[in-house]
Amino acid sequence: MPYFDHNATTPLDPRVLEAMQPYLTGPYGNPSSVHRYGRAAREAIEAAREQVARAFGAQPGEVIWTSGGTESNNLALKGATEGRTPTRVLYGITEHPAVLETAESLRARGWGVETTAVDTQGIIDWATFSVQLAREPVRIAAVMVANNETGVLHDVPRAAALVHSAAALLLADAVQAAGKIPLDFAASDADLMSLSAHKLYGPKGVGALFKKAEVQLSPLLHGGGQEHGLRGGTENVAAIVGFGAAAELAQIELAARQEHLRNLRERLESGLRARSGVTIFGERVARLPNTVQFAVQGWEGEALLMALDRKGFGVSSGSACSSGKGQPSHVLLGMGIPRDVAYGAVRVSFGMENTTQEADRFLAVLDDIRAAVAAA
Amino acid sequence: MVTGAIAVMDAVNLLQNPFGYSAPIWRLFNEAPHAGAFPAVAPDIATGTASTPAAPATLRLQARIRDSRVVDTRFRAHGCPTTIAVGAWIANWMVGRDVEELTQLGARVLRAELEIPDDRAHCALIGEDALQALLSAIRGISA
Amino acid sequence: MIYLDYAATTPLDPQVFDAMLPYLAPGGADLLWANPASTHAPGFRARAGVEKARAQVAALIGAEPGEIVWTSGATESNNLAIKGALEFRGLDGAHVVTSRTEHKCVLDTCRYLETRGVRVTYLKPEADGIVTPEQVLEALTPQTALVSLMWVNNETGAIQDVERLAPLLRARGIQFHVDAVQAAGKLNIDLHATPIDLLSLSAHKLYGPKGVGALFVRKRPRARLAPQIHGGGHEQGMRSGTLATHQLVGMGAAFEVAASRREDDARKLGDLREALWQRLSVLPRILRNSPSSALSAAPHILNVSFEGVEGESLRASLPGVAVSSGSACSSATQEPSYVLRALGRSDEQANASLRFSLGRLTTAAEIEAAAARVIEKVQWLRELSPLWTP
Repeated sequence: MPYFDHNATTPLDPRVLEAMQPYLTGPYGNPSSVHRYGRAAREAIEAAREQVARAFGAQPGEVIWTSGGTESNNLALKGATEGRTPTRVLYGITEHPAVLETAESLRARGWGVETTAVDTQGIIDWATFSVQLAREPVRIAAVMVANNETGVLHDVPRAAALVHSAAALLLADAVQAAGKIPLDFAASDADLMSLSAHKLYGPKGVGALFKKAEVQLSPLLHGGGQEHGLRGGTENVAAIVGFGAAAELAQIELAARQEHLRNLRERLESGLRARSGVTIFGERVARLPNTVQFAVQGWEGEALLMALDRKGFGVSSGSACSSGKGQPSHVLLGMGIPRDVAYGAVRVSFGMENTTQEADRFLAVLDDIRAAVAAA
Repeated sequence: MVTGAIAVMDAVNLLQNPFGYSAPIWRLFNEAPHAGAFPAVAPDIATGTASTPAAPATLRLQARIRDSRVVDTRFRAHGCPTTIAVGAWIANWMVGRDVEELTQLGARVLRAELEIPDDRAHCALIGEDALQALLSAIRGISA
Repeated sequence: MIYLDYAATTPLDPQVFDAMLPYLAPGGADLLWANPASTHAPGFRARAGVEKARAQVAALIGAEPGEIVWTSGATESNNLAIKGALEFRGLDGAHVVTSRTEHKCVLDTCRYLETRGVRVTYLKPEADGIVTPEQVLEALTPQTALVSLMWVNNETGAIQDVERLAPLLRARGIQFHVDAVQAAGKLNIDLHATPIDLLSLSAHKLYGPKGVGALFVRKRPRARLAPQIHGGGHEQGMRSGTLATHQLVGMGAAFEVAASRREDDARKLGDLREALWQRLSVLPRILRNSPSSALSAAPHILNVSFEGVEGESLRASLPGVAVSSGSACSSATQEPSYVLRALGRSDEQANASLRFSLGRLTTAAEIEAAAARVIEKVQWLRELSPLWTP
C-alpha cells in the first residue's frame, strides 16, 4: 500500500539495519563497563557521533544522544531553564507539541511563556518577534527549522540573529528538516538543535540534541553520568550506530533525495491545483520537498483519512502525535486558517520508496471518493 | 581441559590489553621478571622498602651485591599494575649495574620508560623511594 | 572471554530479536514499522504490537497492561517515578526516604530534588548490608511523600524485604517506589498481592534490547505522576514521544520468555553461584559479601572480597573474565561502597572485591575456568605482595 506518512516515521534503510545488526546480535556490553566488550561499544558510539556531527555541520563534542526528538526538545528547554531565575520563554505558535507542551510546563516553575504569531503562510512574524524579544529578558526562544505539518521552512540564521541580539538562546527543532534539506548547525547559528533518527530512515528510539559548547544545560535524566553528565542512562548502542549510518547516507544522498521528493510533491500539487476547492497550506513559501498539507472544501479531514486508508493510502491529518484527538491543527489555526477549513486538513509526506504512479493514483482515488460522496 | 583453557587464556592475555595500560606497563605487569624474594638477612643482600598510605602501595626491592655491582635482583609489590610494573622494571634494570649507577635513576626516567600517565605519577615516586631505601641498605653493607 | 557480568547487561535473546525484526525491518506488506500513533492501517498494526508487548511486561509482574508506562530505560523510569511523584504532590516541605545503597540514578535524582527544597533521608544498611522495613518505618515523618528502595541490591544481590514493607507503607498512605531492575525475571513479583505503587524495569538486564524500560504505575489506588517528558501526550500523558515499536516488542518478548523460565533459571543460577563460591573457597581469607541464604539473595550475583590483593591489579590480571568491580556503581564518585562498609569491610577489602553475575548462557565449565583463573591470579598477587603472610 502506498505509504505517504514519512513525517510520522520512515522505514529503516536496509543499509542501516545492516550497520546495526552486529550491535543487536553481536558483542554485547554496557559501554560504561571497562572490559573489552564495553570498549567496543564505546568506540561504536563515538564513531556514530562523528557521523551525525559531520552530516549536519556540528562538532562531535556538540552532540548529545537522547531517546528521540521529544526528549531532545525537553532537554533543550528544561535544561536551559532549570535552576535559573525565571524570565521568559518564547515559542512560535506552529511549534511541535514536544516544544509547545514543554514550554507551557515551565509556567508552573515561574517562567513567563509567550507565543510568537506567524503569518498566513506559517512564517514567524519577524517584527512581532523582535518586539517580544526586546520587551523583557528572554532566556530561550524556539523557532523550528521545518514544520512537521505544512513543511514550511524558517530562516534560522535570521531568527538566531534576532534572538542573540536579545542575549537569549535559540532552539531550532530540526527533527523534520534533517535528511530532507541541507542542514548545517554551525551555519544556522542556533544554540540548540533537535534531531530524530526515525525521520531519516534510521531506527526509532534515538535522537540527538546539538548544543553549542558554551551553552549551559542542566540534565533532564539524572544518574550514571553518561554524555558528560548531561544525559544519564545506558546508551542504546545499536540505535546510535543506526543513527550514525542513517545520517551518513542522508548526507551522501541528499541531492538525489531532494530531487526525487520534489518531483513527487510538484506532481501531486499540480494535480491538486487542477481540482476545485483544494487549498494547499503554506503554498507560497519555501517548504520541505516532501510535504503537502492541504484541505478539500467541505470535507472533514478524519473522514477523508479513513476513506483514503480504506483505499490503501497511508496519510495523516496533521502530526501523528495529535491525530485522532478530534481537534483542528494548532498549526493551521495559528496561520489564521478558519476552523472548518482546518478540520479538513490532510498531510501527504513522501518518502524515497514512493513513485509518481502512486502520486497519480492518489489523485484518482481522491476524485473517486469525492464523486462517491457527491453521488450519495 | 581446564588447564588447557588457562594456557590459552594466558597466551591471549598478552595480546589483550583491554584496560588501556601503556604497552611497557602491561608487559611488565604480566611477565613480572625478577618477582620474588631473597633470604631476608644475608651478607650480600640489600633490601629497600617504600610505602605510600594513599594508594595504598608497597614496593620492596632486593639486590645481591658483589664487588660494588648488582648481580641479581628480586622485587615484591602490593599495589596497582603500574606499581608492580615499576618494581619489575627497576629490578630488571639494576642487574649488572654498578652501585653508583643506581643513584641516577629517578621518577622522571621511570615515567618516561614506562609511559606512566599523570594520574599514576605517584607509582614512579614509590619506585624512586624504594630505590633510595635500597641504596641506603647497600651502603650499610659496604660500611 | 568468559562473560560473568550479566548484571551489567545481557546479550539479546535470539528469540527476542526474531520478535523485534518485523517491527524494525523495512519490506513486508504490513508496514509494521509505522508510527503506532498514526491513524491508518499500518499505524494500527504497529499499535497492536505495542499493546501486546505491554501485556507481556505486565504479566511478568502481576500487573494490568494499563499500568505499564514505556520509558527509554530504567534510569528514566527511576527519574520519572521519583520526580513525577514529588512534583505531583508538590515539593513544598516534602520528605523522601531512600537508602545509600540505591543505584546512582536514584541517588542523583534525590540529590537534585534536595536542591529544590525536598528533604531526603538516606538510610544506611545494617549489618547484613540491607535496609530493613523497621529502619524505613522509623524514618517516616508526617511529610514523607515517597519511599524508594531497590528490591535486589545490584552490587551484592542482597534482597531487601519490600514485600513485607509494602503493606506497612500502604497502611500509612505513603507511596512506595521499588527499583526492580535486578529482581525482575529472577524473583517472583506479583503486584496484585504486593501493594507497591511504582516499579522500575529494564529490558537489557533480561535479554531484551537496550534503550527501553518501563515504569509500573498503579491504577488502584491511582499513583499520580507529573510527566517529565512533555509533548504529544503519549502513555496517558505520562511520557510523550514516539514509541519505538521494535524496542517495546523486544521488551515484551523478553519478559514473556523470562516468565516461562524464571523458576528454572533461578534454580540453575543459584546452583552455579554456589559452585563458584565453593571453588573459590579453596583460597584462604576471602569474604563472601553476598548473603548465603537463598531467601535473602538473588540467584545470579556473587560478590567476594579477596584479602591481601589490590583491587585494580586483581581486575587487570583477569582480562579474560568479564566481571565488575564489586563496588562499580559507586566507583564513579570514588565513594566507598556503603553496602560493603555496612558489612564491615575495610576500604582495601571493598576495593579488592569482584562482582560475578551469572546468566542463562553460563555453564559449569565456565564457572570452573573462571574460578581457576581467579584462584591462580589471587595466589600470584598474594605471593608477589611483601605484606602477605600466608
